Amino acid sequence: MTEPRFDEVIHAPTRLAIVSLLAASRWADFKFIRDHAGLTDSALSKQLSILEDAGYVSIRKAFVGKWPRTSVSLSKEGRAAFKGHVSALQQIVASAGSSLRAG
Amino acid sequence: MSEQRLDAGDAARELAEIDKRQVGVIDAVLVPRWYWWAVGLLIVPIGVAADSHQRTATAVIAVLIALVIAGLSVWMITGAYPRARINSATLGGAGAIYIVGFVWLVVGVSLVVAFGLQAAGIAYPGTIGTVLAAVMLIVGGPILMSRLRRSMVARAAAGSR
Repeated sequence: MTEPRFDEVIHAPTRLAIVSLLAASRWADFKFIRDHAGLTDSALSKQLSILEDAGYVSIRKAFVGKWPRTSVSLSKEGRAAFKGHVSALQQIVASAGSSLRAG
Repeated sequence: MSEQRLDAGDAARELAEIDKRQVGVIDAVLVPRWYWWAVGLLIVPIGVAADSHQRTATAVIAVLIALVIAGLSVWMITGAYPRARINSATLGGAGAIYIVGFVWLVVGVSLVVAFGLQAAGIAYPGTIGTVLAAVMLIVGGPILMSRLRRSMVARAAAGSR
């Protein structure tokens, strides 16, 4: 069981969407994340910078032919933080259930 | 909103959002239904050509169809198909085995049937064999994807916990 740790960086709705997508992926293309998270290019770039600064994602830029392609993956630290955050959310839900039962 | 101010309802909604996003990735990377139909229908002319006993025509048709299927697969993976790779923990070791096993099953069953019919002197063994393979792909492909989807959704949920 992962240690519960609420993470303010991941908790923000747009970043939660991005990290959730990446948690199920080995890597994802910038456009894939943009389309599935419903963000604009600039909004996604901004959120990815925040996640990169936190050490949660790795961003790789490459050229496929003459087209630039950006792929993003969750780092080991990002995956651990995501698991801890999910665990913290579950703990909140579970403790509310116990309070209701106790009451 | 910090942890202290997050109530159980908000936490449950956030967990549901995580699940929804992960299911979205899984749905996006599964082989679409049209692909099974396309491959299934494309292989039937190979069987028809084989039954015509014209070796050159059969070879040309088989090569052309193989190229079309290969092109279709590459197009699906690099173009129309969304650009993400599911992680191995979500796919699971069994996922890759199911896919490879299914392809081998289709090839094996259709070959055994075609050669069996030919040995028994039944007309159009190649056509019957490839029609059988097509039916297996069109029916079995989506069923396989549906099972894979179920196991991947369960793995993704377990992997987040």
